[in-house]
Amino acid sequence: MSEQTQLRHLVMSAPGIPPHLLVSDVADLFMDETHGKLLSLPVLDGDRPVGVISRARMQQVLFRQYGREIFGKKPVTAIMNSAPVVIESDVALNEASKTVTERLKFPVTEDFIITEGGRYVGMGAVMHLLNAMEAQLAQQTADLDTAYKQLKASQLQLIQSEKMASLGQMVAGVAHEINTPLGYVKNNIEMMEMFFEGNRDFIGACTALADVLLSPHSTEQDLQEKLGALATLRQGRDAGDDEDIPRLFADTCFGIDQISELVQNLKNFSRLDRAAAADVDLNECLDSAVLLARNVLKNRVEVVRQYGALPRISCMPSQLNQVFLNLLTNAAQAIEGPGRILLKTEAEGDWLKVTVQDTGKGIPAEVLPRIFDPFFTTKPVGQGTGLGLSISYQIVQQHGGDIRVTSQPAKGTRFTVRLPLAGAGITQASQGEAA
Amino acid sequence: MSEKANILFVDDEERVLRSLEMLFRNRFKVYTTVDGNQAVDICRRERIHVVVSDQRMPAVTGVEVLRRVREVSPNTMRLLLTGYSDLEAIVNSVNEGEIFRYLTKPWSAKEITNTVNQAADIALSLEHEAGTDTGGAAPGVLVIDEDPTVVEMVKAICGKDRAVNWSVDLDEAFETLAANDIAIVVCDIRLRGRDISAAVKALKESNPMVLTIVQTQLQDVETLRSLINHGQIYRFLPKPARRGLLEMSLEAASRRHVAMKAVPRLASRYQVEKNEQAPVVALSNRLLGYLDKMRQGRSS
Repeated sequence: MSEQTQLRHLVMSAPGIPPHLLVSDVADLFMDETHGKLLSLPVLDGDRPVGVISRARMQQVLFRQYGREIFGKKPVTAIMNSAPVVIESDVALNEASKTVTERLKFPVTEDFIITEGGRYVGMGAVMHLLNAMEAQLAQQTADLDTAYKQLKASQLQLIQSEKMASLGQMVAGVAHEINTPLGYVKNNIEMMEMFFEGNRDFIGACTALADVLLSPHSTEQDLQEKLGALATLRQGRDAGDDEDIPRLFADTCFGIDQISELVQNLKNFSRLDRAAAADVDLNECLDSAVLLARNVLKNRVEVVRQYGALPRISCMPSQLNQVFLNLLTNAAQAIEGPGRILLKTEAEGDWLKVTVQDTGKGIPAEVLPRIFDPFFTTKPVGQGTGLGLSISYQIVQQHGGDIRVTSQPAKGTRFTVRLPLAGAGITQASQGEAA
Repeated sequence: MSEKANILFVDDEERVLRSLEMLFRNRFKVYTTVDGNQAVDICRRERIHVVVSDQRMPAVTGVEVLRRVREVSPNTMRLLLTGYSDLEAIVNSVNEGEIFRYLTKPWSAKEITNTVNQAADIALSLEHEAGTDTGGAAPGVLVIDEDPTVVEMVKAICGKDRAVNWSVDLDEAFETLAANDIAIVVCDIRLRGRDISAAVKALKESNPMVLTIVQTQLQDVETLRSLINHGQIYRFLPKPARRGLLEMSLEAASRRHVAMKAVPRLASRYQVEKNEQAPVVALSNRLLGYLDKMRQGRSS
């Protein structure tokens, strides 16, 4: 226990009164300026406290008619409080405070006695005790506040690292998604270049032939020459190419659209929107998440969408995207082999409901209560941080909503996210935290 | 080559297949499939000279496809074409797929044409020379690694009937290579704090008969990709060395070496891609001298 939190440093020195001292002499002591601050003086038998006499008690006695005459010559023991509150100096402040409130009959007018090993060392004032207690409380509050801030900071870091981890996985997946269309688009364009080079030569030969045909000075030999050149070029041409060129263009445009779509989604997802955006269509958010999760869904998992007509709501779309992507990824990972994910949205009273239901292996009943706990994961090391659901839970909570889960082993799991229709009621503070 | 080689492309995106088919159909008979299992069937049924597979596909991974193709049709040249850099996949593509090249998406039409042409030429030239696993003298091993536990492990595995040389210095290592009949090199790509992957690649280029087992802690996708394409390493193993893995790799390498010795042209399967950035410059003149000596030794 530290010095600060003990009674010792509250000790005020006050002269002890021997038990036989007369009341009138005690009155003189109280009138002495040096003891002006003391509410009471201790009565000591040697160094053992036997009572306490307070300024208020003295006044009560002496102000009485003939008070000084009646009591002045009596020993102080006649009027003292013979059951003083005595507290050892090494007692903790809060302990002392407890004793004082329980036992001190006149806390406003009386001091208490402080002893060390039963021997008097000085007086303690209730006021000082209160001040010290307050200071101690303030210190504790400050400590708690610091601890809370540190906790908050490390939690933010965790959220950030989870975001980076899932973003990292996603980016790697999306890179693959982009590289595939990029692969055939580039190849197609390089082939078209070769094709058009061939065409240029062919058109050149045609033009040369036309020139010969139109010229009055052309000889039979000129004609043969040009016809021969054209025939050679024609032989080298792949008849299939002409038919395939439209297809090549269509594929190329398709690939470029696909790349644009992926990039757009990536942009939407990672947008650092600290402020809540108004007018967000949750169905669009879900579509965006499905696109980004394509990598885990592939052709293996069929996504069935049952979207209701949803009013737009005010929320932080990039965060809700993170929630939906997390739920989708979990659902896809729960499905071994082929399966189905049902995405259902509906407006119900004052709430929007988003359901993500999979036909996966389900969550065992004993695990279910823990799935939202931070760091709880059943995935192998490296596949999950154990933070995904706990962060999703926080995000939804900050939006004023909730996530519920039901699961049947071997049948599948259903997560239901509910969000309030009337704007998410996101506070300024929680926006800062979640960003 | 008058005969047309058969090429199989495997990718779950049919636009990739269409694109590649158009690029190659004039030169080869082109087969395509979006299904990895079907790819293995095609290789079992048809005489496929070259297979080029995507890695990330829904049902079967590309490495798995290539591993099974290697079983059903060992002479088919195997190439991976992927847009996803995943270390485990690339390690397995070496150890299980024994791939000829690791190509990345997006690719260049010219480069993929050259690479596939080269693979097809090699496959056609070796078509009637499939190496059989015959017995023979156990080939010598050279360990280039400063960690003595590695050489102890190799010695324990090889026993008395195979010579195991050990070197912790590149010059000395190449001297040993030039002077002895070494078939297998077990090495790290860092030696005394320096990157020796250029030497590993140069060694394979100058002597394709030598099989390289790289054992390292380093796990970098680009380095590994380059070790495949420019160094045609035979196995890539993690460190600390594990005896079981090393033993299996050494046995496989020995069998491979024996087969190549019986049919030297089999070594052409391990032709490396010429490195245009020419890291060979980084090699010392002395090293280059040894490499020349080895080249001459082979041609004489």
